[in-house]
Amino acid sequence: MQYMLLINESEDAYSGENAAQVMEETLAGHMKLIEKLAESGVEWSGNRLREAHTATTLRYSGQGEGALHDGPYAETHEELGGYYIVDAPDLDAAVEWARMIPIPGAGAIEIRPIWPNEE
Amino acid sequence: MNERALLARKCMDARPRLIAALAAHFSDLDLAEEAFDAALEACLRQDDPPDNIAGWLMSVARRKGIDMIRRRSAEARAGDAAALIEEGEADMGDVIALPDPIPDERLRLLFICCHPAITLETRAALALKVICGLPVGTIARLFLIGEPAMFQRITRAKAKVRGAGIAFDLPQRRDWPERLDAVLLTLELAYTAAYQDAAGEIDSELSAEIGRLAAMLADLLPDEPEALGLAALITIARSREEARVGRSGAMIPLSKQDTALWNRQAIEQARRWLDEAAAKQQTGPYQIMAAIQLTHARRAFDGKTDWPAIVTLYDALMMVRPGPMVQVNRALAMAEAHSIEAGLAELEAVDPKRLVNARPYHVARAKLQERAGNHEAAIEALDTAQTLGPPQAERLFLTQWRETLMAAQS
Repeated sequence: MQYMLLINESEDAYSGENAAQVMEETLAGHMKLIEKLAESGVEWSGNRLREAHTATTLRYSGQGEGALHDGPYAETHEELGGYYIVDAPDLDAAVEWARMIPIPGAGAIEIRPIWPNEE
Repeated sequence: MNERALLARKCMDARPRLIAALAAHFSDLDLAEEAFDAALEACLRQDDPPDNIAGWLMSVARRKGIDMIRRRSAEARAGDAAALIEEGEADMGDVIALPDPIPDERLRLLFICCHPAITLETRAALALKVICGLPVGTIARLFLIGEPAMFQRITRAKAKVRGAGIAFDLPQRRDWPERLDAVLLTLELAYTAAYQDAAGEIDSELSAEIGRLAAMLADLLPDEPEALGLAALITIARSREEARVGRSGAMIPLSKQDTALWNRQAIEQARRWLDEAAAKQQTGPYQIMAAIQLTHARRAFDGKTDWPAIVTLYDALMMVRPGPMVQVNRALAMAEAHSIEAGLAELEAVDPKRLVNARPYHVARAKLQERAGNHEAAIEALDTAQTLGPPQAERLFLTQWRETLMAAQS
């Protein structure tokens, strides 16, 4: 079963006093996770996203064409910063991978099963 | 109990184990339930009830389950379900042959129903529905919501188990503490909700079911002191069932209960569990709460209540699991152990707004104000408590109490 791990983290965490150090530690955490994923042989993919301010949203009001807007679709304290897709036997195993994702400061990781193609 | 009711009871006693084995077998909660229900119906139709009821039900339920898969796949015309059916063919022989011993998968089922990925209240509902087989209507009344809403909640939880891929395996050792906490919290919630129903208005079977769940918990997790503690706590609460409601239908508070009506066997069982838990030397909130209730239960044996010991236990509980409700109970114990003033002072420190259910706070206030001779303040507190939706038995008790206070004033 494939799970998408959506990383919602506060971009502010990377812009504080010791921003460089936070970034370095977080990236090191991701590298460690990626090594583990490679070692375990599970199928995976993932990407880091550019900051939320680079987002453009096509918004539909429910009638007619969508209108383009500047920014992400939801105004929240946490922004979608990246994601992983991992192949895991069950939810607990997916959570185990999710726990290894570094989150500087407050944030959340949403774990969503991917709808299989054959259903 | 007539013969048919007795047979139904025996079937339901076998239910948790059978549902668990079926769920593990099919990796599908709905199918396990449907197959069991179909087997139960068939069993109750038998002129000659089978000797080995559990084995009979298991064999029939497995066959019914396979029939259901076959029907589903025929409807869906899904080719890959054929593999399942092929495998199923071999099981058909079980009905004729002696049934295999039924594997005990109850712990797995308990962990599935109580997975922390499901909201707490829904976990409790799911456990009561799937493991105990309680009707949705009863569970809905227990959690004070409508039956359609509860039905939807349970259906959604089952969809979550399926859709999110909650494993039909036991959790990994490293996940154990979090998963066990989720199980204990779920049972505590179910018990707390059921305990409100002093007069058994919701369902007379409800409390018995929760008691069976508690015993199952102790049976399945004999090495977990907090599981034993919770089982002890629930069992002591159940030991007072006969004494909790008077002939008028009004609730009788613990201090006024006739201890001759307490179930001593249940108290003994709880004490044994608590002794086993204590041997592990790992204390926790459930063990402390059970110890408090056990201290109260001693009154049945020596007619006395050791209030200083109860205050000490509440002190310990405040350390491991502080909360306004613990403070309220501690205040009541202090009033008995030390003085009414000490109790009232302790109660003053509680912020009723922090309580999910502020009724016990106002009842405690009424009690201590009455003891302090402030009848007016006591009546006022009772009136506030009455506005906070007490169940029938408690409402009657509060009304009678108020009348006594009014009579004493005039």
